[in-house]
Order: sequence, then C-alpha cells, then structure tokens
Amino acid sequence: MKAHEASEQITGDKWEVQLRKGCLELAILAALWDGKLYGLEILRRMESDSDLIVTEGTIYPLLSRLKALGLVRSEWVESDAGHPRKYYALTPAGRHRLREMAGMWARFSSSMSKLLAPLGKGK
Amino acid sequence: MSMGSDAQQKIESYLGRLRAQLRGADDEEVREIVEELRSHIMDKAAPSGEVSSAGVDASLAALGSPEDLARQYITDNLLARAEVSRSPVRILESLFRWASLSVAGFFVLVVAIVGYVLGVVLILCAVLKPFHPHTAGLWVSRDSTGDLSFFLRLGFGSAPMVGRDVLGWWIIPIGLVVGFGLVMLTTRFALWCARLYRRSRVLPRG
Repeated sequence: MKAHEASEQITGDKWEVQLRKGCLELAILAALWDGKLYGLEILRRMESDSDLIVTEGTIYPLLSRLKALGLVRSEWVESDAGHPRKYYALTPAGRHRLREMAGMWARFSSSMSKLLAPLGKGK
Repeated sequence: MSMGSDAQQKIESYLGRLRAQLRGADDEEVREIVEELRSHIMDKAAPSGEVSSAGVDASLAALGSPEDLARQYITDNLLARAEVSRSPVRILESLFRWASLSVAGFFVLVVAIVGYVLGVVLILCAVLKPFHPHTAGLWVSRDSTGDLSFFLRLGFGSAPMVGRDVLGWWIIPIGLVVGFGLVMLTTRFALWCARLYRRSRVLPRG
C-alpha cells in the first residue's frame, strides 16, 4: 500500500516536471517580449511572475538552442559590475513564433479549463 | 569587486570541468558558454559587490553539475541543429560529443553509425551498378555448413568465386529507396533519442 502511494507520488511529480519543462521555452520567449534581458534577469522574471521552478543551469542550454533556431539573438554588453553580460532579444522570427505559441496555449488552456470545470463544482 | 582566492579557485575549477566536457565543440562557442556562466556566477554570488566563498558555493549548487550542464548543451544543440539542417554530418558530430559524456549517447552513436554506413553503402551499390554490372550488388553465398551469408559489393575488382547476385538490376531502385530510407530513419532515431533523453532528465528543484 505504501509502495503504491509512493509510486503514485513519483508519477505525479514527474508529470508536473514534464509540464513545467514543456512550458519553459514559451516562458523564456515571453520574458523577452518587452526587451532584451540577460540570463539571470530572465530567471528572476520567471521567479517573480510565475511559479515555474527552474534549475538555474537549465536555461542557458535552452537559450543557446533558441539562438541556434534563430528565435533569439544575443550580444555582449559591458556592465557596472565589472564583467560583461550576454543579453538576449527576440528576433522577428522569435516574435512570430511566440505569438503562435501564445495562441496555441490560450486555446489549449481554455479547453482544459472546460474539461476540468466539473472538479470545481464540489461534491 | 573583490574576491577571495578561494572563491576564485572554486569558480575556475567549475568552469574548467565544464570546458573539459565541452571539448570538441567549436572554440568560440565554448568560450561564450564559459564566459556567460562566469558572469552568471559573479552576479549571483555578489549582489553587493563582495564575492564570498559561501556565495560562490550557493550559486554553483544552484547551477547543477558541470557534467549535467554540458550534456544539456550537447543534446539541446543536437536537436536545434538537426531541426535546422537535418544533415547527418552535423548529427554525427553532436553524437560523438554526446557519446563521450554518457553511455546512452554511446549506444545511440553506435546505432547511428551502423544505420548511416549501411544506408550509404546501399546507395553506392545502386549508383555503381551501371558501371560494374557484373560485380556490384547484393551477393549471397552458402558455405559448407549451409549458412547463408550476404554481402554488399561495390563492384571494384573481379567477381567473387562463390555466390550469386540476388537482386540483379533491382539493386538500383531497391538500393536507392532502402538506402535513403535508412539514412532518414537513422536521423529520426537519433533525434528521437535526444528528445527522449532531454525529457527524461528530471529538473531538481532550484
């Protein structure tokens, strides 16, 4: 019985992790909508504006992937802190892709909400 | 900004491990990755300008291990490059790097090499058949114990003493279709494995 509960707990956690990971690219692109940011700023924005929990290292390979796909571009900018920072900004293709993804997300989430509506009516 | 030598050493050791795992990648790319992470660690460890050893420890722990990070860079880049180019050469390049980092990557590399080599040999057989009509193709022979063995011949040199050409001119359409099919399937397989691998890595909560 205990083992069964534990395995259910793991499956539930895994599902949540997959869900978060699936949304990560959309979240990163969305964080850049208003203008260029460097990695840590993107992380902080995601921490404050959403509860997407991110292992900090994860976003850098993802950013490099988005860059390889041509959705973001990057530039090094000198800072007061004494070291340069790598800023990312959306490319026109990235803005276009983000709009598309946001549309898909809105449709998906509204149909999910409809499906889940009976759960909110209480017992 | 001030920094103790202990903190400096920790940062350099972390970045050194990362650099070692990324060997083989484009030098400029590796330099950018390392510099970006160095800048992240400094910003994270010294919000007020003073880099402490404890601050460095905390920021390195939040980043995850350099080996993990390198694997993510390699599988993420593999996918992105393949989505853009689908070129077997680029895929093999990334697979070689993935193979140097994990057992899973090694197996994917072995399967991919077998798939690509077989596919390319089949295509070559088909292309060379018109030039070597009597010696190129799929040959089959039976040895003394009755075991059948198949071999693909490109047709250079003289005809084999034993066995016969099973497909004849059919090697041209069959070789081309199966050969290109195998190359495409191998590419798909490599991408699918990389995607699976990306998904299977569970994010520890930061």
